[in-house]
Amino acid sequence: MNLGIFVSDYKLCVDTLDRIKADKLGIILVLNGVYHAVLKEDGKVSELLSKTPNLYALSEDLATRGFSPDQVDSRVKVVDYSGLVDVIFNDFEKVAWI
Amino acid sequence: MGDVKCAFIVQRPQYKGETSRLAMTHALAYQTVEILLEDGETVTPTLCFVGEGVLGLSKGQKAMEMYGITSSESHIKNCLLVDLDVFVCKEDLEKFGIPESTLPDAEDMGAEKQIRVVPFAEIQKAMEEAKHVLFF
Repeated sequence: MNLGIFVSDYKLCVDTLDRIKADKLGIILVLNGVYHAVLKEDGKVSELLSKTPNLYALSEDLATRGFSPDQVDSRVKVVDYSGLVDVIFNDFEKVAWI
Repeated sequence: MGDVKCAFIVQRPQYKGETSRLAMTHALAYQTVEILLEDGETVTPTLCFVGEGVLGLSKGQKAMEMYGITSSESHIKNCLLVDLDVFVCKEDLEKFGIPESTLPDAEDMGAEKQIRVVPFAEIQKAMEEAKHVLFF
């Protein structure tokens, strides 16, 4: 199964992600989830970013919080709403929100 | 009654929910309350950001352009404009790697007050001195 997971909080949800099995796992950072892509808590990037190479962050939610794409971790692809729709329909059979 | 101190403590990040925004609008409302008070009575609010509450304080927020809502940055600038004390926890900023230089000010609006980045001990002191402590 190709599964895209929306993460909308900054709190770590790595335990849940570790249990999920997917042929292709995508993590889509939206709302306060975008902090995973820009913050270094205690000097370390979020563990979430090591869970899959398929990482996305919504540009509108970054801009709302005062961040520009150049502040985003290089592993994360910044997409706008239109790009996000493409990701959902083209890359993943299922999407979930945790 | 004299002076009544209130401490508004924001411990959650902005935007996903309304909670942390309410702290700012409630704190701002002290100006309205003063109209209803007798001579010699005052309310002094202090707005404090701790934990994940320090997220969402950056300059350059585009909430109005993106979603048509007032940004947290704008609320904070209004707080500074009405001389509200705004404290941000130094330890929590450091923990999240947020430089003090990214915090907004309201100089462009003519405000003299600035955000104060303080150790948690000072926020604790504000809570101890307050008659009412409200967590958001």
